[in-house]
Amino acid sequence: MTTTAPSSQLSTTSNKPKRLSDGVFAFLLVLPGLALLLAVVVYPLITALVTAFFKQSLVLPGREFVGFQNIIDVLTGEFSRLLWQTLVFTIGTTLFPFVIGFALALALNTRIRGAKVLRGLMLIPWLVPGVVVSFLWMWIFNANYGVMNALLEGIGLIDQPQAWLAQPATAMGAVILAKTWQSFPWMMVMLLAGLQTVPRELHEAAEIDGAGTIRRFFSITVPQLKGIIGLVLLLEFIWNFQHFDIIYVLTGGGPAGSTQTFATAVYETAFHGFDLGHAGAIGLLWMVLLMALVVVYVRFSEKGEER
Amino acid sequence: MTLETDLPTAAPIAPVADTAGTGVQDASRRTRRPSKPNALRSERPGVRFAAWAAVIVCGGFALLPVYWLLATSLTPRTEVFAYPPQFFPSTVSWEAYESLFTNPTLFNYLRNSIIVSVITAVLSVLVSAYMGYAFSKFRYTGRRALMYFVLSSQMFPQALLLVTLYSVFAAYGLLNTYTALVLSFTTFTLPLCVWMLKGFFDTIPDELIEAARVDGASRLRIIHSIVLPLSAPGLVAAGLFAFVRGWNDFIFALTLAGPDKQTLPPGLVNTYIGEASTAWPELMAASLVVSLPVAIAFISLQRFLVGGLTAGAVKG
Repeated sequence: MTTTAPSSQLSTTSNKPKRLSDGVFAFLLVLPGLALLLAVVVYPLITALVTAFFKQSLVLPGREFVGFQNIIDVLTGEFSRLLWQTLVFTIGTTLFPFVIGFALALALNTRIRGAKVLRGLMLIPWLVPGVVVSFLWMWIFNANYGVMNALLEGIGLIDQPQAWLAQPATAMGAVILAKTWQSFPWMMVMLLAGLQTVPRELHEAAEIDGAGTIRRFFSITVPQLKGIIGLVLLLEFIWNFQHFDIIYVLTGGGPAGSTQTFATAVYETAFHGFDLGHAGAIGLLWMVLLMALVVVYVRFSEKGEER
Repeated sequence: MTLETDLPTAAPIAPVADTAGTGVQDASRRTRRPSKPNALRSERPGVRFAAWAAVIVCGGFALLPVYWLLATSLTPRTEVFAYPPQFFPSTVSWEAYESLFTNPTLFNYLRNSIIVSVITAVLSVLVSAYMGYAFSKFRYTGRRALMYFVLSSQMFPQALLLVTLYSVFAAYGLLNTYTALVLSFTTFTLPLCVWMLKGFFDTIPDELIEAARVDGASRLRIIHSIVLPLSAPGLVAAGLFAFVRGWNDFIFALTLAGPDKQTLPPGLVNTYIGEASTAWPELMAASLVVSLPVAIAFISLQRFLVGGLTAGAVKG
């Protein structure tokens, strides 16, 4: 009795006269997520790009079509400076974490004692929220009581305390260092995972053939890790190209605009300058560059899939 | 369970799959040490030395700032404003933590953070489970295009989206509400959570679903009674990721919410940054407290770490 009741119920549901096709059913499953993406990403993105062609304010109603005027203003104005500073920040915050992360991955992969504990500890910088990274480095770089000044004075690298975050000459370097501290653990984890897929037999065979450590690094490790190295560099580059939090909290793009990147410039122009048209124009140019990077990334990951 | 029989063929790819799925230490445990007597690189003194040098230099860079965070948070307020700074506080003082927990403004930010992150986690798991399942177990035209679309949505700059997202939420009267924050956070968790869950659903054998279907279970019932219970660890992991995403967010909470609805990250910036003399011990103590839930979430999903992060990045 008890077993027949549910089974008959089930068969009635599946024998419904009109059953949705699998395609329609799958679409219904996708729908909530798709609606969110369209409402929160696609629609705002398109309208933001469209504002590039209008004179529009965040606080006043109405707008006026101005054609390419905003874009010309940006291109003849801050564009080259923003591009240069964004590139400096992005390249710095991609290469330094890569070098540190790779060195650590190689070291931990030799299975020195306590490698597992060390790996866990090294992840701390990557775990803390972005604003915490900013607070901490703001304190370290503090002009009057900062530990960075004390350290560098102690080893004789500087004569007097520096206001690292308030001098155009040093602010970008300070911001890059803070972001590097946050990013390298991710690089380490990814590269360590890659290193452990390199077949041991390759190293053993090469060692029997007389290849030294350095030779094996360049002839076995690097070629075997080509895929993962390309991936982490590309992803990190794309992320840093649009990084906002740490720069914004540490310097707000200052001093004298010396740490302004596309991300902080768009934000400042829209929410402190209230000039949506100008912000949209910076954003449009930024998006064109970013899309080029994403195309490279998609090509790259498709190639990885074929392998 | 049936894996035993497949072992010979599965062996060559097993280390790769393991590394992606369960963290990094398993692959090394797999190698049998006794059978490799001669070749271990770690036995060379030069390599050992280089390894330790790298660990000490990079480890110092990684951990000294963490020590400084901890030390400052325990330093008495009067001792912090000294140059050169005291590397070891003369007395351990809990006053920073005390004033932190008795500050009603901060408590309000904390409450907002918890509410918004928890709702984000639940909503994100719901939405991404359905989406991930549709990507995993159905084949239809446009599937690949949709998958790439979801993946690529994390590549769009948030600072730019906000330029008009702000006006969109304003038009619907959603500025300064939890709804605005939850909707935006959930959207940005989708790429990662959908990919994580798709990975989990991929491991559920089609035969199981087919058997349920033959027995007459509807497709929705298959999802709710078979697929989701089998993927419980994945759901938890995705939920924790979504929680952390909401917890850590700065730019959306800063822009879309006012002081009474703001979460901790922008709340702390408003409270401490830009004042004439920042209360550093208090700010460092607050930083530590904000980081704790993230650390706990991470420890509980460590084994999904590499898998979850690489999944969204490499699988098409």
